Amino acid sequence: MILEKDNAARCARMAKVRLSAEEEALYEDQMKELFDWVEQLSSVDTSSVEETAALRAAYLRPDQPITDESLAQTLVSQFNAQQDHCVKVKKVL
Amino acid sequence: MKTVFEIASAVQNGTLTAREAVLESLCKIKELNPQINAFVEVWPEEALKRAEDIDARREKGEKLGPLAGVPVGIKDNILYKGHKATCCSKMLENYVAPYNATVVEKLLLADAVIVGRTNMDEFAMGSSNQTSVYGPAHNPVDFDRVPGGSSGGSAAAVAAGMVPAALGTDTGGSVRQPASFCGIVGVKPGYGRISRYGVVAFSSGADQIGVLTADVKSAALMLEVLCGRDTNDSTSLEDAVPAFSQRFTSDIKGLKVGMPKGFLDDLGEEVKEKILAAADKLKSLGAELVEVDVPHAKYSAACYYIITSAEASSNLARFDGIRYGYSAPNAKDLNDQYELNRAPFGLEVKKRIIIGSTALRAENYKACYLQAVKVRELIKRDFAEAFKKVDVILTPTSPTTAFTLGAHKDNPMAVYLADLYTCQGNIGGLAGISVPCGNDKQGLPVGLQFYGPILQEEKILNAAYHFEKAL
Repeated sequence: MILEKDNAARCARMAKVRLSAEEEALYEDQMKELFDWVEQLSSVDTSSVEETAALRAAYLRPDQPITDESLAQTLVSQFNAQQDHCVKVKKVL
Repeated sequence: MKTVFEIASAVQNGTLTAREAVLESLCKIKELNPQINAFVEVWPEEALKRAEDIDARREKGEKLGPLAGVPVGIKDNILYKGHKATCCSKMLENYVAPYNATVVEKLLLADAVIVGRTNMDEFAMGSSNQTSVYGPAHNPVDFDRVPGGSSGGSAAAVAAGMVPAALGTDTGGSVRQPASFCGIVGVKPGYGRISRYGVVAFSSGADQIGVLTADVKSAALMLEVLCGRDTNDSTSLEDAVPAFSQRFTSDIKGLKVGMPKGFLDDLGEEVKEKILAAADKLKSLGAELVEVDVPHAKYSAACYYIITSAEASSNLARFDGIRYGYSAPNAKDLNDQYELNRAPFGLEVKKRIIIGSTALRAENYKACYLQAVKVRELIKRDFAEAFKKVDVILTPTSPTTAFTLGAHKDNPMAVYLADLYTCQGNIGGLAGISVPCGNDKQGLPVGLQFYGPILQEEKILNAAYHFEKAL
């Protein structure tokens, strides 16, 4: 019953997505329908499933840092603004 | 157009040049793409230059790769260095790939020729290729119908004979469903078989690269080239890759084909008829039909939309206008900046971000996201049990044939529900293949799907190969 207490507009604000009035109206029905449908999952007995096993979707290899400097520079060059090999962001405060 | 196998063999033995093969592909694209919109960008000069280099190497006596001179299309979410990769979204309209995806490296090493990037649903979210910023792709069988999605451009390109093979990605059926709608072969190997390095992530727990071809043997050869361990993808499996194209058996006598209990109950008559006829055909080839029980599989689509939307809300956070994507110039504060930067996302993408972040919020997490991943575990167990009794499992690929453009516009739930048969494979991490099994009364293709356990792709390829030959 997620959307009974939580309408689409509030969900959108929490997700940092701005919607027009038309989009809000469209999503209200569509999201309610979707979450009502998903509600069927609550009837499934999952007591045999451990939380940690369920969250582990796949085997993961250990993280290995990439040390290729030229790749880092190529990646930074794709950002909207950069300075001294760093991503430049706007002052927000 | 010749198949992948035929082109590669002919180029290797000199009866066809790579230039001729690529030229034929480019001519077909020029002729048909204005109506079908399968390709969103084509690189003719570069493709011809590469083909000429391959021919020159052959003339010097060099041994060519297994995909010598084969023209290939790649979905617009796969990185090819120096070329645009936009996910068919306004958000990435100017993004140029800074490196090659592992699959692109493998294609190039195998002497394939990449001719262009193909149309898709925006960020791979959709089943009809109608959410692309470049406009919809059209089904070559009937231009008024969708080619399926999200790899709709790749499927349409192969079905129209523009290329003999194309790459797609499959998060909930996005290779197999368009293959079914367009009457071609689409295969997704098990999770971890093909590296996703250099593929724009939608749902990291479900995304897989797949291939679309006109025939099963070509799909097997493509998989053989693309599968394998890659240290750049932390989920990539270490296991050896068999020579899939050499593993076809002489017959399928004794093959145990699982038929899930109740799986045809809600199916339309025409598709049901084709699937039952396909089962009979397999039986006539010597296969044994066995009923299997996968009781939780019916929850796959609900699990899928919660888990993949949650992962998408996290993966798409990188398009914040700072690292990637649009940066709004006139934001008043930080909230304003975040919200305005996301304006270029289309309706479906915005909706999935909202659904995903709602499912992950502290007050909903247990009932929504955690319950979905627990049910996913039960679905995996069901399939693991079923595969103790059978070699492959048979289902329809899609409950319907290709629908008309614009249909279901106001009823997205109808489209979500139609993913049921394909998203079981992504939720279960299984290998799956869609192979044509005839046409409905309107002449639209129907797809038959085989599922197999991970690391046993040869079983589904073999079953599909023999079915294709017998049809």
